[in-house]
Amino acid sequence: MVKGKLQQPHWRFGHLTARILPQGYPAVEVLLLNIKEGGGLIITVPLSGKELSYPSLTAEIPAAHRAERAIGDFFGIRAQGHPHWQTLILNSEAWPADFTPLSPTGLGQREPFAFTEVVGEGIHEIPVGPIHAGIIEPGHFRFSCVGEIIVHLDIRLGYQHRGIEKRLSEMPWPHTRFLAESASSDTASGHALAHAIAMENLLEITPPPRAQYLRTMALEIERLANHIGDLGAMAGDIGYSAGAGLFSQGRGAVLALAQTLSGNRRQRYYIKPGGVNRDLTETGRQSLALGIRNLSQQMKELIPLLLENPAVIDRMEGVGHLTPKMAKDLGIVGPAGRASASHYDARASFAHGLYPAYTAVIPHRETGDVLARAQIKTEEILSSLDIIAHLLEKLPQGPIAVKPLEDKLPGDRVGIGIVEAWRGELIHWITTSPQGKISRYAVKDPSFNNWKGLGIAMRGNLVADFPLCNKSFNLSYSGSDL
Amino acid sequence: MNIPLWSIIKRGLVTQSESFPDLPQEASGLPMVSQTPCQGMQCRRCMEICPMGAITINDRQITLDRGLCLGCGLCYQNCPSETLTQDRSTRTAVLAREDLILTNQPKPNKPVITRSLPFLRSLHIREVSTGDNACDLEAIASSNPIFDISRFGVFYVASPRFADALLVTGPVGKAMQEPLRRCYNAMTEPKIVIAAGVSSISGGLFRGGYAEANGVPNIMPVDCFIPGDPPHPWSIIHGIMLAMGKI
Repeated sequence: MVKGKLQQPHWRFGHLTARILPQGYPAVEVLLLNIKEGGGLIITVPLSGKELSYPSLTAEIPAAHRAERAIGDFFGIRAQGHPHWQTLILNSEAWPADFTPLSPTGLGQREPFAFTEVVGEGIHEIPVGPIHAGIIEPGHFRFSCVGEIIVHLDIRLGYQHRGIEKRLSEMPWPHTRFLAESASSDTASGHALAHAIAMENLLEITPPPRAQYLRTMALEIERLANHIGDLGAMAGDIGYSAGAGLFSQGRGAVLALAQTLSGNRRQRYYIKPGGVNRDLTETGRQSLALGIRNLSQQMKELIPLLLENPAVIDRMEGVGHLTPKMAKDLGIVGPAGRASASHYDARASFAHGLYPAYTAVIPHRETGDVLARAQIKTEEILSSLDIIAHLLEKLPQGPIAVKPLEDKLPGDRVGIGIVEAWRGELIHWITTSPQGKISRYAVKDPSFNNWKGLGIAMRGNLVADFPLCNKSFNLSYSGSDL
Repeated sequence: MNIPLWSIIKRGLVTQSESFPDLPQEASGLPMVSQTPCQGMQCRRCMEICPMGAITINDRQITLDRGLCLGCGLCYQNCPSETLTQDRSTRTAVLAREDLILTNQPKPNKPVITRSLPFLRSLHIREVSTGDNACDLEAIASSNPIFDISRFGVFYVASPRFADALLVTGPVGKAMQEPLRRCYNAMTEPKIVIAAGVSSISGGLFRGGYAEANGVPNIMPVDCFIPGDPPHPWSIIHGIMLAMGKI
């Protein structure tokens, strides 16, 4: 059934997870998304038998690969016939093999993690991490190489597993927003917005128009800050220090705007269910508008320094190539997906902030290399600047939040929030128990599937190009580890 | 090729000349306890609203633990007596965990401890991230042209073998505890540990779960604490300079 649906136009695989039903036994759930109508479909398969397993979808839907392994980790449920069955997140020696945090039964055993062994003449391995040389998150990369060429890259994550999904179902719900947006704190607005929409679905409330404008702005400011930062970091990775310095200043300027809007450079704890946490004053609005104008001017000067520079193009072109077919199969989202011919942008499909009524320019490329990802990011920077400038002009007056909210959530309901964060489609999926408690809180960070894409894109490239390629994807380790 | 080099040169100096300026008017900042008397147990609004349980009220004594505080601002937005107010200072780092606990009672005078200051002129830092990437980004920002931490003789280095200090961000979950310990052991004496961000101080939002992500002090002794979620780059620089003994 899942496969049949996905063969129809406009349907895509959203997420796959499991939960414990009120009856006490687990069920596997698939979320399919209709990106044309902005709706979705949840298929629940209860597993009431003794055998904690289900037939694997991965062979037919490769995008389910990592999700199935995560279910194995957290519930001890096995995907029969999975091509690469082993632990994904709880893979450190720190976790006992029968420890399944989200399933009270703890019946399942996890297969221990093993790196893919590549054999052949002249093949050698380069292990890197978990602690890296730069200021980035921990994760282990194992390159199998012939000379300087990467044959295979194994990515082992899970070092930052903090038990977020379980904690979210244990907290009183008004406090969950703080933890939900810490899933990957560099995407605070994206996660907070997805959480807020899921909660608003459950509570059946609609935030006032002014709040919708402010939320959309917060989301776009976050996209702007991170994309500009990424371009700077990519310039740094190819040894172009002037570019790195100039773009990091640009990022600083955006963070100052974020502070004006939300009170915090990282826009933490700004978006909340029912609205936003603080209002924007008239002076704040004017200084934001001025800041955006200056930044647009600055970006128009800076972007050619990077992307019209032959030395830079030479270094980025053809590196880290991900074919459109592979990107589609693996469910790659966000700028990385759109650089490989995908047209999917959650802003055009699902309701969040002012979207999809407010149409954003959605750039895409067919080439799928580092240069394409950099070009997508530059175009999104320019379109975000236009969006913010336009929203500031049109910002309506009125309340900024619905209040007061119910203390108790309605029972036996599902709330889903889908947001196009700067890395791509972000899903928060909340299920409540008959008593009105959160019984399952699933988070799908855009990085979750994209990590697989990075591993594939590196094949046949130089080891020395890994930092550049990694930066062009710029994935979140903590969002994937949860 | 026509690269407008002039657009690079004309930018001039962007580095902030004033060290540790206060946050601008529109920024939130951390809460602080003022001398205005608290309404005590009849109010307790802040206690109920705080998602972290960072505030306790006992009779008329109010206690705020910045080692737990996210800086969400709900407490001072809802305080009727203005006992809890905004603190826009970026000089927020402290050397002892108990100094993060603020009250409206006078504090006993602490004996002055003289410490040896081997890093007074320069410090090389190994940053280890364990689950709070916003805090990493602020650490990176501290070395950008605007804050430019290098002018104070501070550098981020690639290996623990080169490092004098370990700067940890994030709550250190179970899987990261051993790598962090090994990183610490790979550093030569003398060495110091700096915990940046509320999650590294106490585990923050993540504490108390099965992943045992309860902060750095559970793993190793910490010499300097930088509160905030994430701390401002100036606060990170403040913590580093405090640990060096420059302040």
